[in-house]
Amino acid sequence: MLESLIQNIINALQWGSFYALIALGYTLVYGVLTLINFAHGDVFMVGAYIAFFVATFCLTVLGLPGWVALILVIPLTMILTSLVGVTLERIAYRPLRKKGAHRLYVVITALMCGLILEHANLAILGASRKAFPVLIEVQVYNIGGVTFTNLKIAVIVTAFLSFLFLHWVVTKTRIGMAMRAISYDKFAVPLMGIPLDQIIVVTFILGSGFAGLAGLLFAMSYPVLEPYMGALIGWKAFIAAVVGGIGDIRGAFIGGFLLGAVEIMVVAFFPSTFRDLISFSVLLAILTWKPTGLFGIAQTTKI
Amino acid sequence: MMLSIENLEVKYGNIQALHGISFHVNKGEIVTLIGANGAGKTTSLHSISRLPPPEAPRVIAGDIRFNGESILKTKPDQVVKDLHLALVPEGRHIFGNLTVMENLQLATYARAKGTDFEPEYQRIFDLFPRLHERRKQRSESLSGGEQQMLAVGRALLTGCNFLMLDEPSMGLAPVLKYELFRKLKQLNDEGMTILLVEQNANLALHLAHRGYVLDTGKIVAEGTGEELLGNPEVKKAYLGG
Ligand SMILES: Nc1ncnc2c1ncn2[C@@H]1O[C@H](COP(=O)(O)OP(=O)(O)O)[C@@H](O)[C@H]1O
Ligand SMILES: [Mg+2]
Repeated sequence: MLESLIQNIINALQWGSFYALIALGYTLVYGVLTLINFAHGDVFMVGAYIAFFVATFCLTVLGLPGWVALILVIPLTMILTSLVGVTLERIAYRPLRKKGAHRLYVVITALMCGLILEHANLAILGASRKAFPVLIEVQVYNIGGVTFTNLKIAVIVTAFLSFLFLHWVVTKTRIGMAMRAISYDKFAVPLMGIPLDQIIVVTFILGSGFAGLAGLLFAMSYPVLEPYMGALIGWKAFIAAVVGGIGDIRGAFIGGFLLGAVEIMVVAFFPSTFRDLISFSVLLAILTWKPTGLFGIAQTTKI
Repeated sequence: MMLSIENLEVKYGNIQALHGISFHVNKGEIVTLIGANGAGKTTSLHSISRLPPPEAPRVIAGDIRFNGESILKTKPDQVVKDLHLALVPEGRHIFGNLTVMENLQLATYARAKGTDFEPEYQRIFDLFPRLHERRKQRSESLSGGEQQMLAVGRALLTGCNFLMLDEPSMGLAPVLKYELFRKLKQLNDEGMTILLVEQNANLALHLAHRGYVLDTGKIVAEGTGEELLGNPEVKKAYLGG
């Protein structure tokens, strides 16, 4: 009984980690721009593919051992994925922002960007799935009937460290202060001598970089890649961010783990086909009870 | 001439808000721009700050020169960072979700890293002691007058030597109004050039060296503070007879 509880908690933490890492990106961009970046789930997918290509290159072309490859794959995936996010901002969102376009058009644009990423992938790489290469030997540990792998632990630890890092950026650094300032009053930011676009780019770098990291970890954990892999998980992470209180990074983190926990609990008691139905219903109930999300105190309190 | 506006015409979309206005501010002066609601005062300041549309208008003719050079291509953050020209906007626009101290710190964003800003914070706190008492509070919780002081303090911390203020006395109790104007005088005595937009023409003209009267996007009168105070038309329209 206790073993199965602990087992479930570990599994919940692992899934929660993926949701949380993606939700952080949704919430950062929303907090700064009140833009729901619906392409974000697909940025996660692109991150997984970038990790795939970088890993394959390191292993086969450079012939590096797996752990050396991993050390290179982590930063390269994050950097390259953040470039994808920045490119979207540059070519799709920024022109609309400069024209003062209504939010509806920006959200639709974000949705289209996501679809373009998915279908560009399909067109360029074809429909066949890709198998992610093994970078580190997965060790299975069994302590008192609870089994876990080094990879699962790494995923969970990474999510926590990422949260602590982003929380530090937002609350303690000048750039984080500027991000919070934008979320409150975009108009006055340039009057402080702060280049607005530069802060927005940093926001996209952070959000997409960690989506890339999530893509890499996901691909290592579930090593089959396909163009639509970001769609459902992206939606779920978005919902997790909203339930946590979108705009607040603590909310994204808690929301991600909450969703992970609900899903694993549902599967423990019901057939697995009920998973998404019941977990979305629970989230809906939470939102009905607290429409601003768990951490959403007021409209003005973002990031 | 530090700032000169030359035949400036600007539009919001298709609507023209300034119809070729010209005025200038010399170094060390206090110049005031007065006029009724909707005259184009805020529009003028936003144009000078080079804020982007849709909040600010598009320049369609004329020029804005700072120390002799056109700044029409300058970005709003560069106006603050490189020209040391700061704006205290109408309605204050402080960052209510940040503490008072964070608001002040943020204003030093574009300035050289590694500078010790402590003496400058101290100077702001000497100027506005209330801000020191409340430095750890979320700035949303400040009273209107305190928020105005924060807005001014914040602008000063950008390292400006030219300060523009848009109706800083709006919503302030008379006592606070006079106090604020005294502080502006003090800043000017210490070398700050000031362009002050006011609806409270009487107070502004008493403080300023020179003034311009703006009416529906045109300058309709100009002169020294005393001249404008004595001008019968100005008296009738803006000084209550
Ligand atoms: N963002 C805006 N979009 C469209 N028109 C505007 C905008 N801001 C001001 N205006 C118009 O420009 C004119 C001047 O306004 P403004 O500069 O705010 O006047 P003042 O500050 O003197 O009260 C007014 O007719 C106003 O309606
Ligand atoms: Mg105005």
